[in-house]
Amino acid sequence: MRQLTLLGLALVLGLAAASIAPVAGAAELTFSVEPASVTIDTFYDGRTLAVRGQAPAGSAVVVRVVGEKSELHMKEKGKVFGLLWMNLDSLAFSGVPSVFIAAASTGFFDLGPAGEALGLSGLEATIGVEGAVADKPALVAELVNLKKQEGLYREDQGLVRLGQGADGSATFSADIGLPSRLSPGTYRVEAFALQGGAVVAQGGSLLPASLVSTPAFLARMAFDHGGLYGVLATVIALLAGLAIGLVFQSKGAH
Amino acid sequence: MSIPFHLYLPIAGNSVNVLAILGLGGAVGLLSGIFGVGGGFLMTPLLIMMGIPPTVAAASDSNQIVGASTSGTLAHFRLGNVDFKMGFILLLGGVAGGALGVQIIKILRQMGNADFLINLTYVLMLGFVGGYMFIESLQSMQKTKSGRTEAPKARKSVYSAVVGRLPFQTEFTRSGIRLSALVPLVLGTLVGVLAAIMGVGGGFIMVPVMVYLLRMPMHVVVGTSLFQILFTCVNVTIMQSVQNHTVDFVLALLLLIGSSIGAQLGAKVGRKLGGDQLKILLASLVLIIMGKMLYELLARPDILLAYVGGH
Repeated sequence: MRQLTLLGLALVLGLAAASIAPVAGAAELTFSVEPASVTIDTFYDGRTLAVRGQAPAGSAVVVRVVGEKSELHMKEKGKVFGLLWMNLDSLAFSGVPSVFIAAASTGFFDLGPAGEALGLSGLEATIGVEGAVADKPALVAELVNLKKQEGLYREDQGLVRLGQGADGSATFSADIGLPSRLSPGTYRVEAFALQGGAVVAQGGSLLPASLVSTPAFLARMAFDHGGLYGVLATVIALLAGLAIGLVFQSKGAH
Repeated sequence: MSIPFHLYLPIAGNSVNVLAILGLGGAVGLLSGIFGVGGGFLMTPLLIMMGIPPTVAAASDSNQIVGASTSGTLAHFRLGNVDFKMGFILLLGGVAGGALGVQIIKILRQMGNADFLINLTYVLMLGFVGGYMFIESLQSMQKTKSGRTEAPKARKSVYSAVVGRLPFQTEFTRSGIRLSALVPLVLGTLVGVLAAIMGVGGGFIMVPVMVYLLRMPMHVVVGTSLFQILFTCVNVTIMQSVQNHTVDFVLALLLLIGSSIGAQLGAKVGRKLGGDQLKILLASLVLIIMGKMLYELLARPDILLAYVGGH
């Protein structure tokens, strides 16, 4: 358990350190995130994050939710004998975030190079591929497609709403839906203000997501006491099968 | 989305619709109760489609089969359809074969192209087993219809001549057969090897082996197969929990409530069907699965990547 905690701490620190490098001259963008942390309980089925903040007047705004980055081992599918599709070579992707949601006040292509780099196409450029593979960009694109299908990666164009602030600055707000397939960990919420294709202000905050109640108990059991968990899972399954069998016996008896 | 029909699965790391999972469990349990197969070949891909990671889907499925096969074995036991002696001997062979299969797969992986061999074995095996069963039971049904009752075992094959001379001849009362205990031991081992290589429980190979090579009556085959699957899946569940932490108990519990009820209904449905009808239906199911696998091999996949660990 202590090892897990240390690992978690290291990941959080690493994440904070490896977050988007501040753009030279970019001002601090302040915003609030509600809720400030996510609890994953028995009935968790996705949650909406309300992000509210202020940006320099006339800016376009991008808000992102990015999960911890890790290495991902996968297999590439290819044709054998020019006929059969099979899992072929193993490969490893590095720097793959668990979740990547980017919302913008307009289309990402309309934001210029800096804006585009904040979306999925920018993410693709940061993911590395190890292994004897020929076409790395195509494979990264496949990975992003897979994650999109799983509901973990998304671009929401036009989701960020802009308004008029009191002192001439602009306000922005976005309601971002977190995926139902959310793992516990630390996520990073980031906001960027862009003008003329460049980032003029940016800010970030951490969003911890943790398991509570029954899911927390079961996950602890499964990871810390695997043997006991397996035996209990088996015994309960056996008893449930027996119980249902007996119920049917009494029903079937004439 | 406001109706609280969703539950978060702590190991799978995803939330699922409770009714969908119960329904899936019920449908697969029904097939399991009718045919004596675990149903992993159906359940695992459907769970993956619902957003469960492949390794968690396979491991949790084993956990739920423990419940479904307990329920199914109990139902078949009451109908007098479980040959415990035969089941134990096959199981013994199966455990040895499983261990051997795991070693073989390691060697295959080192040689490379293991997945190709696994897929090919799978498709050929399904095609052969399904095709043979289908044709055999069709012929048998036609004979029964035309009223001709030829002695089916008039032709002494080399196989039965060899089997008849083996030592350790044992009476299997429940199945109404007498043969050497070595036969189920060796066949159990072979099925164990194949099941380990293909990463499946092996019910769909074991059932035809019992019908055609051990010549057990179809109804006893179904009950005995379920009894044996129960032990295999207890073993897999505990191993997966200890080594990979991939058993999601919430998922398994939901599935098994559905599948245990399905298995009970299946045993009743199976009783209403004749042995030949059961065989031809199972053969059709096996052929459909083969068709699906063949299609997956031939058609270009949507995504050209696969997670490591699924099958």
